[in-house]
Amino acid sequence: MKKLLALVLAACLLMTVVPAFATVADTVAASENLTHDELVEKAKAEEGTFIVYGNTSRISTAAENFSKLYDIPFESNNLKDAEIYTKLESEIKGSAKGADMVMIQDGAQLTYAIEDGWVVNYVPASVKDTVGESDRNPLVHQYINKLFIYNKLGENVPAIKNVWELTAPEMKGNIIFKNPENETVNMNFLVMLTSDAWAEKLAAAYKDWKGEEIDLGSYKNAGYKWIAEFLSNCTFGSSDTTIAEEVSQETAAGKIGLFVLSKLRSSSVLTDNLTVAQYDASENGYTVEPFSGFMYPMYAMISANATRPYTAMLFIEYLMTQEGFQPWGKSIGAYSTSTAVTPNEGDLDITVWKDTLVMEDPEYILDNFDDVSTFAIKYIQK
Amino acid sequence: MPNMERTRKFQLRRLMGRLRAYFSKPANVILLIFLVALCLLTLYPLLTMLLETVTVHAGREARAVKSLGLTTGDYTLYHFKKLLFTLNDGGDAGVKLSNSWIQFYGPFFNTLAVSLTSSFIAILFGGTVAFLITRTNIKYKKFVSAVFVFPYIMPSWTLALFWQTFWKNVNIGTGTSNGIMAAVFGIYAPEWLVYGYFPISLVLGLHYAPFAYILIGGILRNMDANLEEAATILKTPRWRIISRITMPIVKPAMLSTFLLVFASSMSAYAVPVFLGSPVRYYVLSTKMKSLMDTYSGQAYIIAAVMIIFGVAILMLNQRVTNSRKQFTTVTGKSSQISLINLRRANRPIAIILVVLLLLVAVLPLLTFAMESVIIKAGDYSLSNMTLDFWIGRNLDYLDQGDSTGILFSAKVWKALGYSLLLAVTCSVVAGTSGILVGYGVAKRRGSRLASWVNSLSFFPYLMPSLAFGAIYLSMSSHVAWLRGFALLALVGSVKYLPFASRSGVNAMLQLSGEIEEAALITGVPWWKRMVRVIFPIQKSSFLSGYLLPMVSCMRELSLFVLLVPTSNTILTTMLMQYSEKGWAQFGNAINLLIIVVVLLVNLTVNKLTGASIDKGVGG
Amino acid sequence: MPEIILKHVTKRFGKFVAVDDLNLTIESNAFITLLGPSGCGKTTTLRMIAGLETPTEGMISIDGKVVFDADKGINLPPNKRDVGFLFQNYALWPHMTVYQNIAFGLENLKWDKKRIDARVKELLAMLRIEQFEKRYPSELSGGQQQRVAIARTLAPGPKVLFMDEPLSNLDAKLRMEMRTELKRLHRDTDSTFVYVTHDQLEAMTLSTRVCIMQNGLLQQYAPPLEMYNNPANLFVADFMGNPTMNFIDGTAEVNGATAQLTFGSLHGAFTAKEPISLTGKDVVVGIRPEYIRISDEGARHANVYSTLPAGMETTVKLDVEGTMLTAVVFGDVDYPVDCPVKFDFSKTAILFDKATGKNIACGTLELK
Repeated sequence: MKKLLALVLAACLLMTVVPAFATVADTVAASENLTHDELVEKAKAEEGTFIVYGNTSRISTAAENFSKLYDIPFESNNLKDAEIYTKLESEIKGSAKGADMVMIQDGAQLTYAIEDGWVVNYVPASVKDTVGESDRNPLVHQYINKLFIYNKLGENVPAIKNVWELTAPEMKGNIIFKNPENETVNMNFLVMLTSDAWAEKLAAAYKDWKGEEIDLGSYKNAGYKWIAEFLSNCTFGSSDTTIAEEVSQETAAGKIGLFVLSKLRSSSVLTDNLTVAQYDASENGYTVEPFSGFMYPMYAMISANATRPYTAMLFIEYLMTQEGFQPWGKSIGAYSTSTAVTPNEGDLDITVWKDTLVMEDPEYILDNFDDVSTFAIKYIQK
Repeated sequence: MPNMERTRKFQLRRLMGRLRAYFSKPANVILLIFLVALCLLTLYPLLTMLLETVTVHAGREARAVKSLGLTTGDYTLYHFKKLLFTLNDGGDAGVKLSNSWIQFYGPFFNTLAVSLTSSFIAILFGGTVAFLITRTNIKYKKFVSAVFVFPYIMPSWTLALFWQTFWKNVNIGTGTSNGIMAAVFGIYAPEWLVYGYFPISLVLGLHYAPFAYILIGGILRNMDANLEEAATILKTPRWRIISRITMPIVKPAMLSTFLLVFASSMSAYAVPVFLGSPVRYYVLSTKMKSLMDTYSGQAYIIAAVMIIFGVAILMLNQRVTNSRKQFTTVTGKSSQISLINLRRANRPIAIILVVLLLLVAVLPLLTFAMESVIIKAGDYSLSNMTLDFWIGRNLDYLDQGDSTGILFSAKVWKALGYSLLLAVTCSVVAGTSGILVGYGVAKRRGSRLASWVNSLSFFPYLMPSLAFGAIYLSMSSHVAWLRGFALLALVGSVKYLPFASRSGVNAMLQLSGEIEEAALITGVPWWKRMVRVIFPIQKSSFLSGYLLPMVSCMRELSLFVLLVPTSNTILTTMLMQYSEKGWAQFGNAINLLIIVVVLLVNLTVNKLTGASIDKGVGG
Repeated sequence: MPEIILKHVTKRFGKFVAVDDLNLTIESNAFITLLGPSGCGKTTTLRMIAGLETPTEGMISIDGKVVFDADKGINLPPNKRDVGFLFQNYALWPHMTVYQNIAFGLENLKWDKKRIDARVKELLAMLRIEQFEKRYPSELSGGQQQRVAIARTLAPGPKVLFMDEPLSNLDAKLRMEMRTELKRLHRDTDSTFVYVTHDQLEAMTLSTRVCIMQNGLLQQYAPPLEMYNNPANLFVADFMGNPTMNFIDGTAEVNGATAQLTFGSLHGAFTAKEPISLTGKDVVVGIRPEYIRISDEGARHANVYSTLPAGMETTVKLDVEGTMLTAVVFGDVDYPVDCPVKFDFSKTAILFDKATGKNIACGTLELK
């Protein structure tokens, strides 16, 4: 056995290659003040295919448009966030040619990706006036929201005005959510609810709803109580698309879902049967206490071993423009962080969403994820 | 002194002679090469994986152990403590609500239940059909044996989706819509039939039943009828013959089937997600997947547990196949096989069988076809149908990722080409390796080297696909040439080598050594003995050793999902993406495309060579 | 004319010793039989000579050429030993026709087509299987498959032919017929035959010399009749001959070349050609059934226990006051059960040392 191990180790050593070249981080740092034209020139001088990994399928369209515009060959790849991080890690560790640029969610993991040097942040000079300070480091390309959306058919329409309504016994089995175990942003949302700020808001909302102070029992705060009672009432769908489809069925009267708003664009979703809780609230002048869903950022980052770093910078710059946002600009549910991009038609402004939705705080999530997810999965069981 | 030198020289010469004799036997050379290769390709990943179970990974995991003074890359037993020994945080509900119970022990027992049941279903169903086809004069044999492998060809989760769309109704699961049975026939199925333990076991059992059919059928087909006839003459009743003669002879095949189905079911991910999640039924593989995204150390522990389980069954299997109760069934002396006459029972049994197969093998295909042409879900009227998803153009208005029907889509054709290339490469590599391993193991049967190689060649099967893929991805970062297609092909070949090596070993064990020796003695060189004598005799077994890896690769997803290169997708990743996005019509059309392509390949091979997937891994 | 020599050949499978220090010289043109019960090492020996099995120790040479020497590190592959091998289960290639089966080995020797065709035709004729030329093995009967196997083995004209129980799968009548043919074949082909069997009759009738083995050890190597008449030990005596030799435990008072024997219920005077050396007193007296003569002049009385008349001869079981003896009477004779008869011993009897089982003397035995 020992011999075998030695053999294996020797073989591995032989296979290891040690590369050495100027880091992408250096290149990016040195390019801060390049003009657009200089960037284009440098990008075009780079060789090889420009490779993009994206959390969103529409990245392909954006990359395609970009490629046509600058005549740069591209490949785009639609992966899940965890898959992107796994691939990135192995590419960085192996110095293998992989992504040049990634568009990715889950800020908590990204914190580590930046810390460990898997990705490099780049803020194009052109966005310094249009993107707010809080969205620059790391650079948020857009926000995506998951909202309470309900089926408006039948007698018992779950037109909620307070999230505590979802914890009522009669809602059992009527709420559809993607299992937070299977998508980290969903768990991130739950984690945020346990923060002092949201726990306080939830406690206040409880008083509004019940007319009495919240009795926490053994729960640490109102956030935990809501998570426990909410998850107990949920059934879990396999993807946001199917949840959207399912809730929109004629047979689904009385059902409410918490899913990505942009899924309403899918032709298989019977949007006529659906009401977005926040739309109804805005139209009729009330609020859903204390939130009507949650929102998370989609970051645009450069891979630490990009072979086309200038192209990646150019692409990020492009993505932050009106034209670059166009693939997401056709329908509701995507919000550019740049004031230069006009909000999508028929949707509410990002400022409204920031006020009414639960936003991510990567540091808080990192610190509390273990605790809250360990707590939450107990209510995901039978 | 000269004396000593002479002794040394003498001993050296003896040693050289022995070595030369040893290496002059191709079996020894093959076994040594495979021993080294398999150690690198299976033991090394395994060690890497075990190392992962004690490593702190970046992200949430690193933060969780920050208070312990640990950081990314450190070694710790924290993952074990958290996953396996956190049994006291259940509060009033006790152990059942503890983290370890929820994350590990509960899913563990569910996995056990599902895997055992699906193995049982697969052996019972597949074995019965194999018996009826090979040993009786049942009607419609051709139809049954052709259709029986369909469920294996489909990606397993599509069978799960079929089951769900077939039975779902507003009373169960998410309770939002009615499937065919409820909408058309007004039959509202109870929850246990549609979600959870039973349907997961059933779908997996049906999906893997072809294993039983292939393995057990192979033995029954080659079994000397005299064995049964001898008992008949001793006036043994028929059921006794089956239980005392036939069953023991097929027992090794049944155990092999059990091992294969158990290991497959254990690591199956998509089926329990679709059929388990809606009723909060979790198994180890689903837990592993979700932990992989956040606390991968714990995920690797689950993977390790699954491997340990598999190894335990493998060892059981090994004891049976290594025992002296081995049966050489092809000796070069020919005998006849007589079929049991079912008489009056023939038609009823045949009809029951055909109906069953129509339900589990043909109906899903029809459903896929149907779902690929309807525009709005649930409306089966002619006006709601279109062939656009197959042959349409300018479909941008759908916003479903592709603007042309799949038959005109360059993307689909490219993915199909890549899938085929991958599947064929894997099948050639795995199939040929399987024959060589079979040859080596059979020739040196009983030697330690042979049993090592035999076990190692089976080992990849026990590694959960998802973890296997992840490890190969990280391995590839150390090996310059291991990129893109090479990586995919290697992973696929290694992962499906067990099919080929099983069929190779079985086929070779059946072949009496004299057959090769008769050629050896007249000076036929090794390669020629393989090509002209051994291969032609066991052609159908060997070819199924090529076909099974091919079919499996064509419909494999989780193994490849992390490794598929950015420039080339394969059909299954495309299919999964479409299914997840809810682009049902394209998804169903692609699913059908996969099935049709596999069937075409099978048919072509069958017509050209007489071999097919359903024609026996030999036993 | 190849001579095969085995020196100190040993084969171990792990701890199990299959063949133990075997020394054997097979004269050219001989028809040697390796005989013994299953598991005695005879097949292993054959396979080692052929090169299908590698000995652990020792030296083997064929026709003056060393084909294996553990000490010198020589090990020729089977095809370089110019031998033929006839397998127990024929090992016909099921996917080839009779013609192809025979021709395959020849093609491999790079013979030209015409020569191959001529040779195959010759063999088909020699073994009288011309009409099956185009058939597959599965379409032939056992006997026909056997002939094809022989033809295939003979095709390249090997100087040494090894046969591993080639007749054991045939029925009795066919076996008889094939034996005659093999013997004839041995003469016609002018080669050395080494034949493995567990059937002593086959060994007796076919071979020029028999090599009898037990548990990997050579017991005796001698021409069949010598082995029959003067077996080296109890094992050989018991194995050779059917019905088997009578063995009766007894004691001996040795006096030079004579001994007074008490065995079973019998007493007798034994006279050997040479002085008898016996350490203890206990002996086993061995008498071939055909040397028990039943006649009115017999010295002792016995009762007929049972008879097995076979036409040509009758096997008679005698009860001599509790001691059972098997006798063979030639010709068409029968006795009623329990009929009293008289008998005595004719020709030779053999005295074995009970302690070692060794043959200590061969001589005449007179009943008292």
